[in-house]
Amino acid sequence: MPTKTRPIEKFATAVGKCSAEGAVYGKCIVADYKNVTKDKCLTEFLKLKDCYLAAYKTR
Amino acid sequence: MLSPVLLPAASLHTLTRTRSHRVIALRFSRGYAIQAPGAPTLDIFSSQTKWLQKERAAADVQASRDVDYLRDEVASRLCERLLDVNRHFPKVLDLGANACNIARMLTRPSPDSPSSTTRAERLSTLVAAESSQAMLYRDADLPFNQAMEIVRQVLPTSEMLPYEANTFDAVLSSLSLHWINDLPSVLAQVNNVLKPDSPFIGVMLGGDSLFELRTSLQLAELERRGGVSMHTSPLADVRDVGGLLQRAGFHLLTVDVDDIVVDFPNSFALMRDLQAMGESNAVLGREMGAMQRDAMLAAEGIYRELHGNDDGSIPATFRLIYMIGWKEGPNQSKPLPRGSGMISIKDVLEGQTK
Repeated sequence: MPTKTRPIEKFATAVGKCSAEGAVYGKCIVADYKNVTKDKCLTEFLKLKDCYLAAYKTR
Repeated sequence: MLSPVLLPAASLHTLTRTRSHRVIALRFSRGYAIQAPGAPTLDIFSSQTKWLQKERAAADVQASRDVDYLRDEVASRLCERLLDVNRHFPKVLDLGANACNIARMLTRPSPDSPSSTTRAERLSTLVAAESSQAMLYRDADLPFNQAMEIVRQVLPTSEMLPYEANTFDAVLSSLSLHWINDLPSVLAQVNNVLKPDSPFIGVMLGGDSLFELRTSLQLAELERRGGVSMHTSPLADVRDVGGLLQRAGFHLLTVDVDDIVVDFPNSFALMRDLQAMGESNAVLGREMGAMQRDAMLAAEGIYRELHGNDDGSIPATFRLIYMIGWKEGPNQSKPLPRGSGMISIKDVLEGQTK
């Protein structure tokens, strides 16, 4: 019997596949986390999001 | 012609009335400035939302039992503090009982002396009061209910205690006071329902609880959306608790802090567990609806980078503030009056160093 997967589980699994991109984005923020502005790490985030979207689809 | 200054006050009024209606309306609509009785309270949490979250959490019994690790551990530590008081308690109130975690922990033997019998023999009756019925009766058919007398009672609101004064020999409260809006009032009511010279022993989340989650969500939302929204509750700090207890009329206060750090595989597991506990966000004026996926995606990366452990897990700190206060009693020991000390502490300390 297939168990129902909650959306958050699917989301978490997809995000888990992008730990490398997540780390790059995290480092970008943490490098100067006292001066964070909107879209400070936009390029890093878009890479992370592309990876996540790809991982979310393939599953 | 008489000048208006010399006219008596009544005729001055008639004069102004004829001239302008606006002036009169203003003068006669003014009432006395009175202060509302009691301190004005500011609602921070939605008790309706909190009730709904607990009902929903308890509806999934297995998921709810799986996340009892925190409440059971805290309740166990609280029970140890109760047993430090060397007396028998005929009637004890468990305020905000959740799933009767205190009762379950009381029916187990003490970890300090496993050979002895259960801790429950020091109590006769435990009244478990909680506003969420589903949460309160979740474990009502488990075997531990036969080991001691538990009276379950659903409260219409968690901020009003429907008990007579001088009813209980002790009041316990584990991990529910941090959702109370009017803490001074609830503590004063607790003081009221206690018998003289009886203890209140409570524990609440406070201080820097979940600071990792709080900071990563703030940084993520700041970078993604350009602003911060409220995702974690404001919590009382240690120094606030001492003042609160004193204001409620408690004596012989003891406040201490205990940190429990739980490691999670990722931040989503932490959020899911909090939800299953019924401890989701219930701050009034929070952003309605689910959190943006972009912000959650960003927060996960920041959490891992800023706070993550070396083994790939992430820590979540729960700071527990334990508070003990005694209701005033006739034969209670009191602090000596100021200036009555006969020994200089300076001499004692200097004598030690020589």
